[in-house]
Amino acid sequence: MFDFIQLIRNENMKIYRRPRTWVMLGILLVLTLAPSVLMMTLPDAGPDSMWSAFPVGMAIGFFLVTIYSVVVAAETVAGEFSTGTIKLLMIRPWSRSKILLSKYVSVVLFSLLFLLILFVWNYLTTWLMFGGDPTYRVGADNRSPLSYYMLQSVYKYISLLMVVTLSFLISTVFRSGSFAIGLAMFMLFAGQGISSLFMMLGQKWAKYLLFLHMDVSRYLDESVIRIGELGEFTLSFSLTVLAVYYVVFIALTWYIFNKRDIAT
Amino acid sequence: MHESMREPIVRLSNVTKRIGSRTIIDQLTLDVPPGEVFGFLGPNGSGKTTTIRMMVGLMRLTSGEITIRGHRISNEYEKAIRHVGAIVENPEMYKYLSGYDNLLHYARMFPGTPRQRIDEVVELTGMGARIHDKVKTYSLGMRQRLGVAQAILHKPSLLILDEPTNGLDPAGIRELRDYLRRLASEEGTSVFVSSHLLSEMELMCDRVAIIQAGKLIDVRQINAGAQGQAVQVAFEVDQPMEATLLLADLQAAHEGSRLLLTVEREDIPQINARLVAAGIKVYGIRSHTKSLEDQFLEVTGGEQIV
Repeated sequence: MFDFIQLIRNENMKIYRRPRTWVMLGILLVLTLAPSVLMMTLPDAGPDSMWSAFPVGMAIGFFLVTIYSVVVAAETVAGEFSTGTIKLLMIRPWSRSKILLSKYVSVVLFSLLFLLILFVWNYLTTWLMFGGDPTYRVGADNRSPLSYYMLQSVYKYISLLMVVTLSFLISTVFRSGSFAIGLAMFMLFAGQGISSLFMMLGQKWAKYLLFLHMDVSRYLDESVIRIGELGEFTLSFSLTVLAVYYVVFIALTWYIFNKRDIAT
Repeated sequence: MHESMREPIVRLSNVTKRIGSRTIIDQLTLDVPPGEVFGFLGPNGSGKTTTIRMMVGLMRLTSGEITIRGHRISNEYEKAIRHVGAIVENPEMYKYLSGYDNLLHYARMFPGTPRQRIDEVVELTGMGARIHDKVKTYSLGMRQRLGVAQAILHKPSLLILDEPTNGLDPAGIRELRDYLRRLASEEGTSVFVSSHLLSEMELMCDRVAIIQAGKLIDVRQINAGAQGQAVQVAFEVDQPMEATLLLADLQAAHEGSRLLLTVEREDIPQINARLVAAGIKVYGIRSHTKSLEDQFLEVTGGEQIV
């Protein structure tokens, strides 16, 4: 176990020793702060508490963290292939599965770290600029804003993990970082559109489409979501569908990575 | 010592690789005993790199088996590869990391490698203070050194080097050669080197296998000057005719001012003494072994890439 941590340390070193990662962090901090600064400069009717600014920062920040994680996931495998370093990496007394796992874990850790930084940074800056509001309540069951947005982050992280895992899969199968980034982004943006296309066809199986279940944070405000002709979805149904996709993605990634000859 | 008594470090038996309908490697069988520098020679595209990729587990075998210190690469990969250090093609390193961090990276993958070992290999490969610079600032020669450093980090009993002299200057090549020879003789490390440079292999290896179009054509001992083996010797003399008559018992022939004969190495000083005693001036003695290049062209029939 301790030895396996060494592999994760290696992968971490490869993520955090790159200037790219620190540029990402800088952009995240600046862009998350930007809406608050804009609100500050409004001549009148500025926000009365941090809770008007905080969700805006979170929305922007979450979007960035998703993109970053997709990029890191896409590069971690494909990058080793394109630079040829994969050869020297694989010829060590470690199975391919464990090396791949160390990469996946490091990507997940990266996304969690950036999400944590985003949350804390956004919380601190909005609180310092606008102050708190102890009476403020939000959501369907009147939660305190802190618990609501923490729960929201957990829900949104589920969709982030799905996109990142897909990016990791494509990166492993096609050994192309840019293709992985592109396809994962496409799924993120065009997913809804494609889904409605299938929905229009009125196919029964359309309710199992990944895209329809990606954003589980919607269940924070409604416990049941009605989607066109397909009927009503609940959180547990969505989570089950996502779990099945997740297992398929992971199984496919590991299977292909283990089977392939490395001939870069 | 009986060569046959020693357990080979690496054994390839009937190794075959097919990709689609093309047979890349065909029934390759060979052994490398401990402490031997083994050359793997062939024209470009003959399957050298594919063989090496199979030896280190990057590619799977279609049939046959490779064992390293008794462990089969197919089902005991982690045990087998532990004994192997390798450079496959170019030594590609993480360019955005320093040479030191690259070594640290590989050291972490061998549990129990002490940090001092990194300094040791840096010392051995003569990387010096440059080890702390980013790899992207390195010359090809420096990268090659770093490649060797990562390969010997865990003191492997089999060192596999794919075209290791690529990008090295003559001094670097010589240094590497001496180092590999020392590693083989002092630490008993087996070295498996591939190359298409014939003269290079001749100076470096104990034995050379010649491969062409995926087939093993020949395996030969290199040190032709070894005891009991006849070598062709050329004496440069002032009276070649007289010398030829004098050494008629040895079937001497002459060619210009050179006297040519085939004798055992141990007899050379005696022959020299006979010549001098007969009043023939000897200006030079050169034992002329058939170069590997001649042998190589001979067996491959001077054929080009197939």
